[in-house]
Amino acid sequence: MTTEITVPEDLWEGDTEGVITAWLVDDGAEVAQGDLVAEVMVEKAQYEIEAPVSGKLSIARAEDDVVAKGTTIARLEA
Amino acid sequence: MTTTTKSASRKLTIARAMAEATAQEMRADPRVFVMGEDIGPLGGVFGNTRGLYDEFGAERVRDTPISETAFIGAAVGAASDGMRPIVELMFVDFFGVCMDAIYNLMAKNSYFSGGKVKVPMVLMTSTGGGYSDAGQHSQCLYATFAHLPGMKVVVPSNAHDAKGLMTAAIRDDNPVVFMYHKSLQGMGWLGTEKGATVAVPEESYTVEIGKAAVAREGHDLTLVSLGAGVHHCLRAARALEEEGVSAEVVDLRSLVPLDRDTVRASVARTGRLIVVDEDYHSYGVSGEIIASVAEHAATRLKAAPKRVAYPDIPIPFAPTMEQWALPSADKIVAAFHQMLNES
Repeated sequence: MTTEITVPEDLWEGDTEGVITAWLVDDGAEVAQGDLVAEVMVEKAQYEIEAPVSGKLSIARAEDDVVAKGTTIARLEA
Repeated sequence: MTTTTKSASRKLTIARAMAEATAQEMRADPRVFVMGEDIGPLGGVFGNTRGLYDEFGAERVRDTPISETAFIGAAVGAASDGMRPIVELMFVDFFGVCMDAIYNLMAKNSYFSGGKVKVPMVLMTSTGGGYSDAGQHSQCLYATFAHLPGMKVVVPSNAHDAKGLMTAAIRDDNPVVFMYHKSLQGMGWLGTEKGATVAVPEESYTVEIGKAAVAREGHDLTLVSLGAGVHHCLRAARALEEEGVSAEVVDLRSLVPLDRDTVRASVARTGRLIVVDEDYHSYGVSGEIIASVAEHAATRLKAAPKRVAYPDIPIPFAPTMEQWALPSADKIVAAFHQMLNES
């Protein structure tokens, strides 16, 4: 089953876009539910994105990509 | 840390690696505490104290006023009295307002007391430019600190070394200046160097202070650098590989003590040396490395050494002017071509 990792709607206030500053796991790695996988920066504040489920990570949006709330940044294959 | 990742493949930014090392030492040793500007609830303007305030509270993670002389002086006192403080000088460029506390008190009290007083503190400070923060927020000043006796000085280029060096620095009974380059912190607005975010073990470990690393092996040319410069060297080495040139990259990691043996051993194999340093060209790390090789009789150089360093000018604010002045992979490759033409 495939689960998308999206930027949560409540991660920060307002509708400002952010930038992925770091992927903290490699593409193709196995991650566990709740693992910290990426950081997104919005106006010099950094937010954390966790894996919603366990699975094999497939990165869809690279570091330095601009993302909005709801953007799919990766997929998890369980 | 508010969140941890348990997978074996997890990577950390240098900012997270520094915070993790600090948190682990604070859990293990009640004498360890942190002081500085915005290092509390904000987690440090460069992210390296994130999570500490939530876990350890305001008594052990102390936000200070803008008063570097006072809080660095206070840290020297606390360290002399048995504590193990970690203090942050937000930008190394601000050293002018607190240098007496650093190099007359922190660096020398142990010597002055005949070793009776130890000063086990860590002074962490950000270095480097590239994001248009002008001449009073962009310097490296590595040589300024490495020149003055009495302090160890470390400069990590990646998160693995950052965690191990931070743990070693906190446990060291001597004062250690921990200089971290802003472009390696994983904070997007400072210019992100992806190569600095690497796999980091969760358990506590140390990287020996005073030991350089060979970041890439090669036999035609030795590139020596530190901090962000290591990544310029690795890019230059990949470009040179396409020309059939095999470049070795030595990451100094530590300026005091300086691992001259690793540098000399590398240059003894390759016979060619280029030093890359984002600190100023004259009277700096680059000159010290070249002198260390030149004064060693066993080294046979095939060409005169070169340096790719920051020009001896105040750092420009204008982006085009600043980028012109910074070291880069292109400049390293050009320096090698020039070296071949001259020899």
